[in-house]
Amino acid sequence: MTARDWLVAAVLVAPLIGVAASSFAPRALLTRVALAVAASVGIAAVALAVVALAHPDHREIGRWIVVDPAGGLLLGVIGLVGLASALVSPQFLEGRGGTLFREDHADRIYWVTFFAFLAVLLAVPLAGNLGAAWLAIEATTAASALLVGFSGRARALEAGWKYLILTSLGLGIALLGILMLESAAGGGGGIELLTWRSLPHASLDPKVTIIAYVLLLAGLAAKIGWAPVHNWLPDAHSEAPAPVSALLSAALLPAVLLVAWRSEQALAPTIGARTAGGVLVGFGLVSLGVAVPFLWRPQAWKRLLAYSSLEHMGVIALGVGFGGPLAMAGVVVHIAGHALAKALGFYSATPLLGHEPRASGHSVGGIARTQPALGASVGISLGALAGLPPSPLFVSEVLIVAGGFQVGRPWTASAAAVLLALGFLGLAHALIDTVAGKARRRDRDFAPGLRSVTSLTVVTTALLLTLTVAALWLPGSAIVEGLMRGLG
Amino acid sequence: MSGVAWTLVALGIGVVVVRRRSIAVGLVTAQALLLAATALGQGGSFNSVVAAVALVLRGALLATLLLLLVRRTREARPVAAGVAPLARAGAAVGLALTLIWLVPPIGLDSAAAQRATLSLVAIGLVTAATRRATLFQVLGIVLVENGLAIAALSLPGTSSLAIEVGVAVDLLLIALVASVFHERIFVEFGAGDSTALRSLHDR
Repeated sequence: MTARDWLVAAVLVAPLIGVAASSFAPRALLTRVALAVAASVGIAAVALAVVALAHPDHREIGRWIVVDPAGGLLLGVIGLVGLASALVSPQFLEGRGGTLFREDHADRIYWVTFFAFLAVLLAVPLAGNLGAAWLAIEATTAASALLVGFSGRARALEAGWKYLILTSLGLGIALLGILMLESAAGGGGGIELLTWRSLPHASLDPKVTIIAYVLLLAGLAAKIGWAPVHNWLPDAHSEAPAPVSALLSAALLPAVLLVAWRSEQALAPTIGARTAGGVLVGFGLVSLGVAVPFLWRPQAWKRLLAYSSLEHMGVIALGVGFGGPLAMAGVVVHIAGHALAKALGFYSATPLLGHEPRASGHSVGGIARTQPALGASVGISLGALAGLPPSPLFVSEVLIVAGGFQVGRPWTASAAAVLLALGFLGLAHALIDTVAGKARRRDRDFAPGLRSVTSLTVVTTALLLTLTVAALWLPGSAIVEGLMRGLG
Repeated sequence: MSGVAWTLVALGIGVVVVRRRSIAVGLVTAQALLLAATALGQGGSFNSVVAAVALVLRGALLATLLLLLVRRTREARPVAAGVAPLARAGAAVGLALTLIWLVPPIGLDSAAAQRATLSLVAIGLVTAATRRATLFQVLGIVLVENGLAIAALSLPGTSSLAIEVGVAVDLLLIALVASVFHERIFVEFGAGDSTALRSLHDR
């Protein structure tokens, strides 16, 4: 086995060790054990990401396992956000109210489910074929639904239930698309037919393939949260525990989007690159169009972040759909930048809700006036998500729009630019109001868990600025060339 | 396949119209057993035997779990659906016919298998959309998966066993998680009624 194989094994096994360790650790040691395992999961995932991104030409494309730059990017994102979510989880658990589970077992069940979710989430970018990717995605639904409904409150039950039913039905439709693909290839080849390495070279019936592709993407859209099948997203993101919301938005959505991206690359030789990309561009534009009006409304903090997820998944869909070198560079930066900024936003929710409980259901103003450090965290997150320079998301959005012009889709790129500008204005308004607007009278000192969020803010800011610099170097790099090649 | 396929669809229509949860669970279990028998009838190869065993186990475990849930969450009277039974059946048949009309031949062993697959997917979607009882919404997912099982059994050649078994395990996991939610919703609202879950919206 090579070093890369050992890392793959570590990434897949370490979270399962987390499940076992959290199940049996003595109660007094539970948090420490969980954090230690989360650190090892994060280190393994980031190490494999570095290896995959540092050697974009040296890809490992097997029947069950794939290690490539696109998967590496997602592994890095999941590893980092998973670790950060674990680090802020003790603060959430200390301040939590009721729970869906027996009170004396709740913390243990939280950690067991957290690691189970992480295990299947990490398997998504590593899956070497469409069938295994579907299985991993479906399994993320089971684990994450329990986490969404963890508080056991009526609103959390509603959010968890909607998420479970809508995404399961959506994935059923995606599975129908996969079966159609198998059928379009003539069947009989077992799993090899559905591997990322075989699909681009398979002799598929184009008429059936295009229907299969649309069904597959429509089903995955329900999980990615693309409009118009995004109904669960604002509810689940706003009702889940903050560390889980961060994982859902920053890691799960783009990980599932990666499967849509791989499918587009794998089926483009059969149905045509323009058609394959066009479906993604359609989802991207509709998602942007649906998200913008909600970004203009005063929203509860986590709900605002959820609608921002809808916008950003739309932007990434546009970039993947355009598919040119500039757009691909933009996609890489956007996935990483969105993950960092969005995770910070959700982590800030724990101290924010402690400081201003109304924030769970209403927009809040003037946080920096009563809690300057919290105001900084909220402001950096929202500023970066809005695409305010020097945010890397500003660079990535420029690259993606330019990429649209580069591949000969000027009207779509122009429409995207207008929608992005409108989205920017909406979020900029929210930024000013939330951070520096009129403040209510609050208890100035109370903001639970602020110290760890402040530390994460410093790290996130440094990473965001580094990403902005890297974004300028990325177009034309070997990483982007590797992404353009796909897995065929 | 033709007779079996249409029996499966008829059982699915039954789930859309019946009032009692236990009867609906019985109908989807009968579907699973019929699917398993179909798999066994495909020549007795190793793949078809494993597929049949997976379908029987999945059906039995789901039936046990769901009937246990029905027993633990007894309701004074069945949760009324928002739409009349005949209208629900009409919607399911309408959506099924639309899908059959829209989708060209996808290369399954028989046209009947394709029609039955699309019909059960349609029936599952209509069940989840029109039944207010939370347990029926879970049954909607099971109906969709049963429809997909018809397609998997009717693929030319053999499909991957690992994926077939994985799909069955995933469905069981989803049903298990749904049962946790169903019980809690029952405790919280006094009924497994999804209309109680309408407090989240944008201001």
